[in-house]
Amino acid sequence: MTTQLQRQGSATAVQGTGYMGDQGSPRLQRVPSSRSNHNAPQFNWSPASTAQEDAGQEAAVPPKDLRGLPIPMALKRAISQVQQMQVPVLSSFQSWKRSKAKSLSRGRKSIRGFLNYIKLWRKSLNQIGGNFGDGVQSYFLFLRFLVVLNFLSFMLIAGFVLIPSIVFRSVASDPVNMTGPAECRQYDHNPAALVKFYSYFLDFLSGTGFMEYTYLFYGYYNNTMVAGSDFSYNIPLAYLFTAVFYFAFCLICITAHMGTAVRVAVATGGGATGSYSRIVFTGWDYGCLGDRSTKLKQKNLHYQLQVDLEEDRIKNEAASLTLGQKIFLYSSRIVLSLVAFGLIIAAFFAIYQATIFSQSKIDEIGVLGLIYEYLPSIVITAGNFVVPVLCDQIALLERYNPSITVIVALLRSVFLRMVSLGVLLFTLWSQITCFQGVSGKCKLCHYNYESYPCWETRVGQEMYKLTLFDLLITIAMLVLVEFPRRIVVDSSSSKLAQMVGRQEFVVPANVLGLVYGQTVVWTGALFCPLLPLINTLKFVIVFYCKKITLFSNCRPAAKTFRSTKSKVFFLLVLLFGWSLALVALIYSIAQIHPSMSCGPFRSLSSMWTIIPDSFYGLSQTSQGFLFYIGSQRFSIPLVLFFSVVMCYFIALASVYGTSVNLLKAQLKLEARDKQFLVKQIEALSRTLGVAR
Amino acid sequence: MGNKQTIFTDEQLDAYQDCTFFTRKEILRLHSRYHELAPHLVPMDYTKEPDCKLPLALIVAMPELNENPFRNRIVESFSEDGLGNLSFNDFVDMFSVLSEMAPRELKAIYAFKIYDFNVDNFLCKEDLEKTLNRLTKEELTPEEVQLVCEKAIEEADLDGDHKLSFADFENMITRAPDFLSTFHIRI
Repeated sequence: MTTQLQRQGSATAVQGTGYMGDQGSPRLQRVPSSRSNHNAPQFNWSPASTAQEDAGQEAAVPPKDLRGLPIPMALKRAISQVQQMQVPVLSSFQSWKRSKAKSLSRGRKSIRGFLNYIKLWRKSLNQIGGNFGDGVQSYFLFLRFLVVLNFLSFMLIAGFVLIPSIVFRSVASDPVNMTGPAECRQYDHNPAALVKFYSYFLDFLSGTGFMEYTYLFYGYYNNTMVAGSDFSYNIPLAYLFTAVFYFAFCLICITAHMGTAVRVAVATGGGATGSYSRIVFTGWDYGCLGDRSTKLKQKNLHYQLQVDLEEDRIKNEAASLTLGQKIFLYSSRIVLSLVAFGLIIAAFFAIYQATIFSQSKIDEIGVLGLIYEYLPSIVITAGNFVVPVLCDQIALLERYNPSITVIVALLRSVFLRMVSLGVLLFTLWSQITCFQGVSGKCKLCHYNYESYPCWETRVGQEMYKLTLFDLLITIAMLVLVEFPRRIVVDSSSSKLAQMVGRQEFVVPANVLGLVYGQTVVWTGALFCPLLPLINTLKFVIVFYCKKITLFSNCRPAAKTFRSTKSKVFFLLVLLFGWSLALVALIYSIAQIHPSMSCGPFRSLSSMWTIIPDSFYGLSQTSQGFLFYIGSQRFSIPLVLFFSVVMCYFIALASVYGTSVNLLKAQLKLEARDKQFLVKQIEALSRTLGVAR
Repeated sequence: MGNKQTIFTDEQLDAYQDCTFFTRKEILRLHSRYHELAPHLVPMDYTKEPDCKLPLALIVAMPELNENPFRNRIVESFSEDGLGNLSFNDFVDMFSVLSEMAPRELKAIYAFKIYDFNVDNFLCKEDLEKTLNRLTKEELTPEEVQLVCEKAIEEADLDGDHKLSFADFENMITRAPDFLSTFHIRI
């Protein structure tokens, strides 16, 4: 050990002196940063004394993090060896703490190695990132996040709702208690005895027939409340709590995932300023692999710089517009915004009509019936294709500068997709509750029992159809549009084909598709508990489809998609979808009367009432405890406490911001002082020289 | 898992783990990549700390560096003699700094070294021009190059000396959110 150390010591002796600030090796040239000097411990480099290094400097100081030091590896290893050699005199508590920290870090290292090993699709994502850049990779990372989220949600639902239901159904066949008028309790879910062979396939696609009365939909679950001597399980309560917890779990996952990205975005101030220096110094993606992608990256940077130069030119032009031209520009922008808005409203109206028509034709059979069933999905998808294209053309006419155009187009697309789903839900609600019990059909059972004997299952079926249709459209686009386009472009040499070119992988539109699919699942999870599982499978299929199309059919985009800001944007849009689904959930739980013929809530007047009912079944102490938590005596001080904590953090943040600005100003002033002094010195030396 | 390997002693692997951002497996994988570059020069047994350096030409032939316009500067910045000859220590160090777990400050130090072509601890206009030409493969016109370089220095220069010191560079890097993800080589 000592000989090795001696060799290390002598080998590093030269570099050691170099590090102390002399010329030495170029590698150790001191970069004028205070940090690289502070962290390096001061060592005596003569080999003989290092072995004798004792309590001295390292007494109560924990081993420094060597990985962040900008010194050569050989030096780092020498330092780490010396650190290990030292036996500092510590109290037993400190040495216990030190050994615990060491084993903790070793445990963390092994966990990190294990997690790296099992990370889903790691190699594919690396490949995608290397060949197509970070923007495209961020889409696939987002997709992987959604797959994991859906899978974990399914585990949650399976554990608390599905498996107990299966167990109770197989164990006990107790008569299910139903209340309410006899007409409301009619629910004929048995499929017809003699069916054509293809109806199984049609039923699979629309969730009716043999699929309707299964664990897939709400209607199959019973309101069993098992109350044994030492074990009790209340299925309706579990169902409700699982749904609520599922939403809370998704919210926590999304905010945790957003945490790092938001921190980076806030710390860097969004990166709005300094675009030229940013492109020059951070534009090159060092992870670029392969000749083709490198050439494309270079073209890309060239394009970005030209865009920036162009934007500056446009800004200069815009500043020099006459008053008349300005008025014309602003009024044309207002008119075109109204046109775009009108297009979106027209799409909503089409969805409304299609849904009403589809619900009225629910009894059709065969392929025509299937088309009528899928009519809302078809209209929504068609709207989502046509309207953004038209909006893009309108945005071009509005003549904003390029970055604002992208943002405006994105916001319009988000609005269109999310609110079209909302329109669909609104239409369904109006059909089910007859606009809140106005018409006579809904008087008896508080919902339209003739058309919807089990309305939750029907809503679940609509969401199921939307999800399935989305998947079918993705696969159909892949097979029928993208592959033929590539074949046509590659084989024909006509000018039109070259102008159209290979497809580009447009990240924002694809991400919006994912968010839309996830919002549908959130809305439908209460009525179709297996929907997260179906969504997991769907997203896995989408991953492989998109990867295939990316590598076979797409060319890398000329305009990159900035990935850090966009990650925050994707998650914000996802949160927007989540809040929409939350509104639907709250309304279904609190306001609409559950079906009296099916489901775990059939004997209640609203889904929420199961909670007060079971609350009074708790013991007195639990009731008292929960009452206390909900009372004003507890909650108001709690709210006050959290407000104080939040104010503290806001004040801290603002103080840091002001001090940063002050320091920047001070830096500028000091530089100017330095220049002034240098000029003074020059002038002085000149006068002295002249005088001499 | 790693107990059967005879390339490094356990202490060496622990030291490497302490000094870099890699796990055991990754360090062994890096050694096999290093060995692949020159199988007859690089010994398989590193327990005796052989003094073996590979020249610049071999290192930049790696697929991860092959197409990078700054490959020569990268390898020179991590070599001890400044000419691009990397020992295994330097090789691991290079990929550790360029990995995704290295902190921003460390990456900024080495990025500054890479872009400083004339090695004078400042990024002057000539350094920027060389950087820009390599970035865009000389597709910009000379006037555009001048314009972009002037604007870039104007944006980042805080002390007004018309060149960028490390403090200016670091300040500009902290405002660039993509730096961590672009200054990253996947190996």
